[in-house]
Amino acid sequence: MSTVYKYYRRATDFGTPEITSDKNVTLTIDGKQVTVPDGTTVLRAAALDGINIPKLCASDMLEPFGSCRLCLVEIQNKKGLPASCTTAVAEGMTVTTQSPRLADVRRNVMELYISDHPLDCLTCPTNGDCELQDMAGAVGLRNVRYGYEGSNHLDTEKDNSNPYFTFDPSKCIVCSRCVRACEEVQGTFALTIDGRGFESKVAASQNQSFLDSECVSCGACVQACPTATLTENTLIEKGQPEHHVITTCAYCGVGCSFRAEMKGEELTRMVPNKDGHANHGHSCVKGRFAFGYATHKDRITTPMVRESIRGPWREVSWDEAIGFAAEKLKKIQKKYGQGAIGGITSSRCTNEETYLVQKLVRTAFGNNNVDTCARVCHSPTGYGLKSTMGESAGTQAFDSVMKADVIMLIGANPTEAHPVFASQMKRRLREGARLIVIDPRAIDMVRSPHIEAEYFLGLLPGTNVALINAMAHTVLSEGLEDEAFIRARCEEVAYKNWRKFILDDENSPESMESHTGVTAEKVRQAVRLFAAAPNAAIYYGLGVSEHSQGSTMVMGIANLAMATGNLGREGVGVNPLRGQNNVQGSCDMGSFPHELPGYRHISDPSVRKLFEDEWNVELLSEPGYRIPNMFDAAVSGQFKGLYVQGEDVAQSDPDTQHVEKALSSLECMIVQDLFLNETAKFAHVFLPGSSFLEKNGTFTNAERRISPVRKVMEPMAGLEDWEATQALSNAMGYPMNYSHPSEIMDEIARLTPTFSGVSFKKLDRLGSIQWPCNEQAVEGTPTMHVDEFVRGKGLFRVTPFVATDERTTSKYPLLLTTGRILSQYNVGAQTRRTENLKWHDEDVLEIHPHDAEQRGIEAGDWVGLKSRAGETVLRAVITERVQPGVVYTTFHHPFSGANVVTTDNSDWATNCPEYKVTAVQAQKVTRFSDWQEHFEKFEKEQIDLLQQAQNSSEKVVS
Amino acid sequence: MDVSKLVRMANQIAVNFQYDPSKKQAADATLDHMSRFWSPPMREQIIVHFREGETELNEIASLAVRGLAEGKRHVI
Repeated sequence: MSTVYKYYRRATDFGTPEITSDKNVTLTIDGKQVTVPDGTTVLRAAALDGINIPKLCASDMLEPFGSCRLCLVEIQNKKGLPASCTTAVAEGMTVTTQSPRLADVRRNVMELYISDHPLDCLTCPTNGDCELQDMAGAVGLRNVRYGYEGSNHLDTEKDNSNPYFTFDPSKCIVCSRCVRACEEVQGTFALTIDGRGFESKVAASQNQSFLDSECVSCGACVQACPTATLTENTLIEKGQPEHHVITTCAYCGVGCSFRAEMKGEELTRMVPNKDGHANHGHSCVKGRFAFGYATHKDRITTPMVRESIRGPWREVSWDEAIGFAAEKLKKIQKKYGQGAIGGITSSRCTNEETYLVQKLVRTAFGNNNVDTCARVCHSPTGYGLKSTMGESAGTQAFDSVMKADVIMLIGANPTEAHPVFASQMKRRLREGARLIVIDPRAIDMVRSPHIEAEYFLGLLPGTNVALINAMAHTVLSEGLEDEAFIRARCEEVAYKNWRKFILDDENSPESMESHTGVTAEKVRQAVRLFAAAPNAAIYYGLGVSEHSQGSTMVMGIANLAMATGNLGREGVGVNPLRGQNNVQGSCDMGSFPHELPGYRHISDPSVRKLFEDEWNVELLSEPGYRIPNMFDAAVSGQFKGLYVQGEDVAQSDPDTQHVEKALSSLECMIVQDLFLNETAKFAHVFLPGSSFLEKNGTFTNAERRISPVRKVMEPMAGLEDWEATQALSNAMGYPMNYSHPSEIMDEIARLTPTFSGVSFKKLDRLGSIQWPCNEQAVEGTPTMHVDEFVRGKGLFRVTPFVATDERTTSKYPLLLTTGRILSQYNVGAQTRRTENLKWHDEDVLEIHPHDAEQRGIEAGDWVGLKSRAGETVLRAVITERVQPGVVYTTFHHPFSGANVVTTDNSDWATNCPEYKVTAVQAQKVTRFSDWQEHFEKFEKEQIDLLQQAQNSSEKVVS
Repeated sequence: MDVSKLVRMANQIAVNFQYDPSKKQAADATLDHMSRFWSPPMREQIIVHFREGETELNEIASLAVRGLAEGKRHVI
C-alpha cells in the first residue's frame, strides 16, 4: 500500500460554515434545484452544488461577515443585491449568481481593491494561489480607471518579526479574515483592525510587532489570508507546492490532521486539514510551523556502535549495528538471565512501531520487560478508568465539548499543551458554557480575552483527592446525585460502600479545606453548578495523574461523573488530555509489562493463547518490569540491557541522577532516535530513527481516534523505525517478515477485539476511526459507555485521601510543580531544533512575589532549587500566577535539570512519578549547580565523541 | 533492587486499600495488586525481606506479603 499523493490545489472553501438542521430547504440557483439544511447561506448552498460565487471576505472557517461586496447575488422578489454570505436560504427562493448587473458591480469592487494593491503578481509569493488574483480573473478585471498615483499603502513596511511568516501590509485588502480567524478559530483576540476608513489596518495587540504581541503564532491568520499579506516564510522561499499528502501531526495528543504540501520530497508547508476530525482545519505553532527539526543538521543518519559509553563511536552499516546489538543482548541474557533485558516503546512512534517493540520483547527477548513513556504520564488514567468503567480510555470525541453546558478543567493547561482543543473549548465557552478550573496555578483558562472561569479552585499541589472527595461529599450531602443513572448503570453494593465512605464528615468540604486551601463555600458552589448542568464534562491532564494518588484521583473523577450521571452521551464524560501524540496508542498496543494489546492482562491464559498461536512462541504469564523498576534493577545489577525507541528517559524521567546511574550501569543500551538525545549519551548502539514524515503508520489521539501517518519523503537513514525493530528481532532469532506497516495493523486487528474492524484501507476511506471499531461499531465509536459500561455496571471505588510524603519542611519549605509551555514539546528534542526557541529559549522558575521578596530574589536572578533528590539553578520569573509557597518550572531544556530536583515518589498503583509535587528550597545563587557543571562536561565529551566518529567517517569517504 | 523502595511501594498500596470493608479484604486487594503489577523478582525480594523478620511493612502490607510468601496470587 503506497502513500496517496494528490496534485496540489487549494482546499475547497464553501464560503460559510456548515449548518446542521433536521429541516431541509430547496431553492433554485442559476436554474438548478438545490437542497440544503435550513439556515445554510446562499453562498454555501451554491458552492455545495459547484456554483462558485466570487468572494473575498468569506471563508467556511469563519462566520459570515459581509464586507467585501463581491458575493452579491440577485434574488427574485428581493430588492437590491444581497450578499450571499449573509443571506440564508429560503424555501422556493430563486437566485441568480451571474448577470451583467452583478458583473459590473463586482468588477467595480475589484477595481477599487486593485487600485491600492501592488501589481507584482509574477514575483509575488502567492502567485498561482491567491484569491485576490483569482477574483480579478473571475470578474474579468481589465483595467483600473483610478490610476495608482493617489494615496495608497504600497510603501508600508513588512513585519518580519515572526520567524515563520511575514506580514506585508502593502498587500492587505482589510477583509478582516485574519482578525476573525484569530478570534473565532484560535480564540486569542491578538489582532484587530486599527483606524478607520482609508487608515484601517491590521494591528497585532497594541500596534506591536507580531513577535512581541499576544499572537501565539498558530497561523490561522496566515491560512485565512486571501492575499499575500500573511504568508509562510517557507512558501516565500520555496514557491508553490506541487502535491500534497494527508498525514497526522507528531506533536501533542490532539492529533491534528494536516496536508503536508510538498515540492518533490521537500516539505513546503503544513496546512491543517479542514476535513481533519480532531482539528477541523486548525493547528498550533508546533504542528503548522515547527517541522524544521526533521531536516536539522543534528539528525544522525548512520548507525553507530561503541564498546563503552565514555568511548568513541564508530559509524557502521545497519547490518553491523543490528548484529552488534543482538550479540550483546544475547550475551547479557546468557550471563544474567532472560529477564536482564527489556525495551521501552514511545508515544512519539506509531501504533505499528510500538506494537512491534512490545512483540519483540515478548518474543525475541522472551520476557515481559516492556514499558512505555505513558508510565510517566497517563498510566493512572489507564488504571483508574479501567477499574471504574472497564476501558482505559477517554469517553468522548473532542467535538462532544460543543454540547457541554459546564466544563470542569482539572490539572490541565490546554492553551499550552493541547492548543487546538483549547481553541475548540474556548469557542464553546464563548457560546455560553460555564467553566470551573481546578489547578494550583492560575492558567490562561482562568482568565483570558472573552474567557473567565466562574470558579477557580486554586488548590495546593498534592491535594487533588481531598478536593474531589469534598466535591463528591457535596453532591451526596446536598442530594445532587442522579439517582436514576446510579440505579440503572452502576453496581449497587459498591455504590453503597462509596456513599458511606464519602458521606463521612472527614470528606466534607469544611474538613478538607485545611488540606486543599480552597474554601468550603467555593467548593460547594462549584459543585452545585456542575451537578445542576444538563451536560457537565470533565477534562483533565497530568496535573491529575502525576501524583502519588494519581490513580485515586482518576477514580475520584470517574466516581463524580457517574454520581451525577454525566456519562454515555455527547456533552459529558471523563476526558483525559493525553500528553504526546500517541500516548493512547502506545498504551493500546500492549506496551505495559502486564498487558497484551487491548488492555488484556498477561496472566489470562485464553488471551495468551491467542497471541501464542499467532506469534508461535510461549509467553510468560507474569508481568515484567515497569520503567522505574528497570532503573532500580539496573542500579542493583539485575538489569543489564535496554532497547529505547524514540524516548529520552534521561531528560524526561524523574530523579535524573538516579536515572543516569541506572543507564550507566547497563552493559548494552540501544537508542533509536533522530538525535543524540540525553539518553543516547549513555548508549552503546545508536540506531537512526525516522521522522513522522518518513514513515507509514497510525497515531491514536486522546479521543481514541486512529489517524493515518503517511510517508512524504524517504527515511534519511534508509529504514523506517519498524524495519529496524524487525531487523533486531530477526538478529535475535525471532523471525519477523512484514513488508509494510499495514500488515502490522492487520495483525493488531486480528488479535485485538477493539481494533478488529481497523485497516489502512478503511482509514483511507474514512480519514480516521475512533476505536472500538469492530462488528458492533463498523465505523468506530465516538462516545463510549452509551447504554452500559464496558465492564457492565459502573464501579464506584473508595478513594481515601492519603497525603503525599513530599511535604514541606523547614529545610524544603516550598512545593515545586512542573508543566509545559506552548512553543516547546516534551523534552524539546524536536522543538529546540526549530525557531520555536524564539519564544522559549530557557526554562525559568516562576515564584510568587512574597516568596521572592523573603529570599531577596529579583526578576532574572539565578535561583538554586534544591530538593532531597538534587539541585539545579534556574532564572527567576516573579509572578502571581503561582500562589505563595508554590514554585513552577518546565523541563524542555536538558541543562535546566528540572528532573534533577523531582523525586522517585510515585503513584501507588502505577509508579507514575509525582512530578507535580516536590518539596524544595529556593535561594539566590551565583553559580550553576554541581549537576549542571557535570552535565556541561559530559555533554561536551559526548558531542566530541560523536564528531570524531563523523569526521573519521568523512575521511574514509574522501 | 533497593528493598526499602519495595517496602514503601507495598505500604502505599496497602494504605490506599485501607477503607476496604475488612483488613483481610484490604490485604487481599494489596496482594492482588502486587501479583498483577509487580514483576516476579520484585515479589521474590520482598518475600525474602519479609521472611527475614524486621520490616517496615504496615499491617495490611505485611498480611499481603505473607500471602505472597504462601504462594497466593490473584485472589480477587
